[in-house]
Amino acid sequence: MLKKSILAGLALSLAFAAPAFAGDYPSKPITVIVPSKAGGSTDRTARMLTETIKKQNPGFEFVIKDIHGSGGQKGFEEIARARPDGYTIGMVFTPQLVAHIVSKRARYTLDSFHVIANVAQDPGIVAVPKNSKIKNLADLAKAAKAGQLTVAVNGIGSDDFLAAKNFEAKAGVTFNLLPTKGSTEQKAGILGGHFDAAFMNLSQMIAQHRAGDARIIALLADKRDENAPNIPTSKEQGYEVYMTATRGIVAPAKVDKAILAKLDAVAGKALASDAFKAAAKKGNIYLKPMSGPDYLAYLKQLQADTQAVYDKAPW
Amino acid sequence: MARRHLDRVILLGFAVLAVLLYISTASYPGIAQKTSALYVRFLAVSMGILSIVQLGFSMFRDHDTGRLELTDHWPRFIGLLAALIVFALVFEHAGFYLSAAVFIPVMALLLGYRNYPVIALTTAGVLGFVYLVFEKLLSVNLPGMAL
Amino acid sequence: MFSHVMAVLQPYSILTIIIGTVAGVAIGGMPGLTATMAVGLLVPFTYTMDPALGLMLLGGIYCGAMYGGSIPAILLNTPGTPAAVATAIEGFPMSRKGKAGLALKVSVIASFTGGVFSVFILLLFAPMLARQALHFGPPENFLLALMGLAGIVSIADENSSLIKALIAGLLGMIIAIVGTDDMSGSLRYTMGYVELVDGINFMPALIGLFSMIQMLELAGLRRTHKIDMSALHKKQKSEPLPKGIFKFIALGAGTGTVIGVLPGEGATIAAFISYNVSKRISKLKELFGKGNPEGIAAAEAGNNGCVGGSLVPTLTLGIPGNSVAAALMGAFIIQGMIPGPDLFTQYADKTYPFILSMFIANGVFLIVGLTVAPYLARIALIPPAIMVPVVATFAVLGSYALNNAIFDVYMMIAFAGFGLILKKLGYSLEALILGLILGPIAEGGFSQGMIMGKGSPWIFFESGIAKVMWVLIILLLVPPLYSYWKNVAMVKAPPKEALDDLDSLNEPE
Repeated sequence: MLKKSILAGLALSLAFAAPAFAGDYPSKPITVIVPSKAGGSTDRTARMLTETIKKQNPGFEFVIKDIHGSGGQKGFEEIARARPDGYTIGMVFTPQLVAHIVSKRARYTLDSFHVIANVAQDPGIVAVPKNSKIKNLADLAKAAKAGQLTVAVNGIGSDDFLAAKNFEAKAGVTFNLLPTKGSTEQKAGILGGHFDAAFMNLSQMIAQHRAGDARIIALLADKRDENAPNIPTSKEQGYEVYMTATRGIVAPAKVDKAILAKLDAVAGKALASDAFKAAAKKGNIYLKPMSGPDYLAYLKQLQADTQAVYDKAPW
Repeated sequence: MARRHLDRVILLGFAVLAVLLYISTASYPGIAQKTSALYVRFLAVSMGILSIVQLGFSMFRDHDTGRLELTDHWPRFIGLLAALIVFALVFEHAGFYLSAAVFIPVMALLLGYRNYPVIALTTAGVLGFVYLVFEKLLSVNLPGMAL
Repeated sequence: MFSHVMAVLQPYSILTIIIGTVAGVAIGGMPGLTATMAVGLLVPFTYTMDPALGLMLLGGIYCGAMYGGSIPAILLNTPGTPAAVATAIEGFPMSRKGKAGLALKVSVIASFTGGVFSVFILLLFAPMLARQALHFGPPENFLLALMGLAGIVSIADENSSLIKALIAGLLGMIIAIVGTDDMSGSLRYTMGYVELVDGINFMPALIGLFSMIQMLELAGLRRTHKIDMSALHKKQKSEPLPKGIFKFIALGAGTGTVIGVLPGEGATIAAFISYNVSKRISKLKELFGKGNPEGIAAAEAGNNGCVGGSLVPTLTLGIPGNSVAAALMGAFIIQGMIPGPDLFTQYADKTYPFILSMFIANGVFLIVGLTVAPYLARIALIPPAIMVPVVATFAVLGSYALNNAIFDVYMMIAFAGFGLILKKLGYSLEALILGLILGPIAEGGFSQGMIMGKGSPWIFFESGIAKVMWVLIILLLVPPLYSYWKNVAMVKAPPKEALDDLDSLNEPE
């Protein structure tokens, strides 16, 4: 009897000492760090996902905390540094997550995180002004050989930049690369015909492409995208230049295993649900569910690829 | 310190800043040499020339011997500045509400205000307003929400 | 169109617009709270709202906040938004003379006119104007920033310390180069602080240089200054608007709308260019800087004109005209409405009510402004001993809340301390903030232009638009420089403007 009550007392005190005991997790709202601006696509992805998890799993509550700036670095560091009690998780996006590691600015590594899953992606594209003579990637390579083309990318070290560098290497050309502050400047430059071409992301240009204000000449992927089935891929055009910006969800690495398993499970269930798919379609988010291990493998490969580009031309 | 002396020290500082800035542009990598570096050099050169010209004006034309009066009432001025820094230091650890609840009345008293009910009402009003607008309406994450 | 008008006139819609606008006025009036922040933070909440209502709420906040920034600028010399800095230059001297009521009235009428005009343009000519705006490339953006920076000369030529104003402007531009170099991706002068990677935020600077310095000065006054009370007791209606003021309002409204359409932080540029031009054409030039309502009219009509203007490229092309418009675009996308032609066809039932609702929002702040102004004017009478701690609290909070960073609070305090010394030495803080805000725009345009021109600066003179802009820049610069040159030749030592300022603060009743 005495033994039992001591055990019970011990268990109780343990429960208090470690409130993140897997059994009663979650007992309070979970903070989700979003390393970008409120209303941006990562923020919207996070809100849709947590909304779905909340509906499917009573007891789960979330608070979104936007920490924007320095290309996500501040937010990524905040997730890596968070107390590993399972009550702080966060969103990550590529290639910035690995680019900061490669450029030696980050105070985290991939080992700082437990990767829960990938949620969405935004494939890379090449866009040109609507009345440009460049109709496909072969034209682009030819024009670039004939004379310097002004090609806009969204900042150095971004996914656009990496894709453009990759294309330069594969096609044996050199662009007159123009880094912009954000995709808005790229859009304005392409629509106004100030740039010859721009490496961007699908969601940023799809509406303009459909409206005929600009032309997307290639999707930087090996398979066509279901949201834009008429856009030819880079693979079809003979250039193996692939780029996509992924948006995944992670937790600090040191969180209790049982809690991580729970998080993996609820995220997986939400990602597979029709309600989430419908919400994503409406919100112009392109889903690309990947399990934790798959996504981690992807991140590691991406880090190696980025390292190769960085070693050639550091930024 | 006499106003004109401080003026000259600061102008000299600007000139030194301009020189350092100009020198630092040599280390800009790659493409930045043809773009950002030109812009920064333009700023540095303009800054350097203008500060030297103004320094010259000051040396030859400014015979004003007046002192620089940053404030009429040093204790209050320093008090506010110090209180602000303490406020900023404490705010992240003690939380916003607690530190503001101390800061506002202390500052009001320091500035010689003695109408206690007004001080109390103002403090409560500010805290209430911040709670409603920042936390409820805009959901800004203020430190010390757990209080 | 009739059904769209009816959609706006629903009681729920009206109520939403009123709430949004009044909240906007309060947000714009608070140092540290900006429309960008408010709209950005509220966008996710509109996700669960009725789309049309959500957009109306945000539109109301946008309109209200742009106007709200002028209230503290006039009453306390603490502009709530950078676009209201020009307003403070004329508005605060008016307040000190006991003419706060008139200044507020001019400001609200100018804001209303500028706002309504720009929304009209948005409603009628959006697609056409957006096409024109696309002709603006990086080289033209650089010139636009230069036009805004020309305002430095105009701030200065009154107190003849032109060189110091230029130094202050350059200092602002130099402070602005801290952070990532967009051209190479390398970090400049960040000293290892991750907080500096994105550069020095202009909001803590604005709060420090204006709100906080004002509070430091108030705290340090030996005797509290009293404002001419009698002027405040007069009924507001008895103060007619100054003659010919509508010329300046029209000037501001036109300038603001045109500049708003161009992508970039338009409102500040628009306010300063309108202010600058109005000073050139005014018959009361010598009154500028000492409380000329014409300057308020031009600046306020100018920054509110940007509201409608900035939405032109946002809604038609998906290119946000400024950061508030960018946040608003998020609200459209979250509802599945991707900006572009679809907004005016498929989603016309939400887009048009949104545009129309902004007419009401402008009307709401006009009524609020006119009825509340006489009471607001009394804010200037609150004893400094209670005002200082309250404004200081909001200054700290506002600097913090922008990025949830205590670093920004220290930044604000540093700007206040160093700025006060500069101010006492006769440097123009308005020029400093202008350089800080426009520096990055100028640099971006310059660097991108140089890349487009493949290293040749001729690109800045190539297009027709560029040539016209150079002529305008020269027109803005030459007259003040000429009159300054005459002054230098005539007068020997520069007057001690800063000290005079303080004396007038200390005048006994």
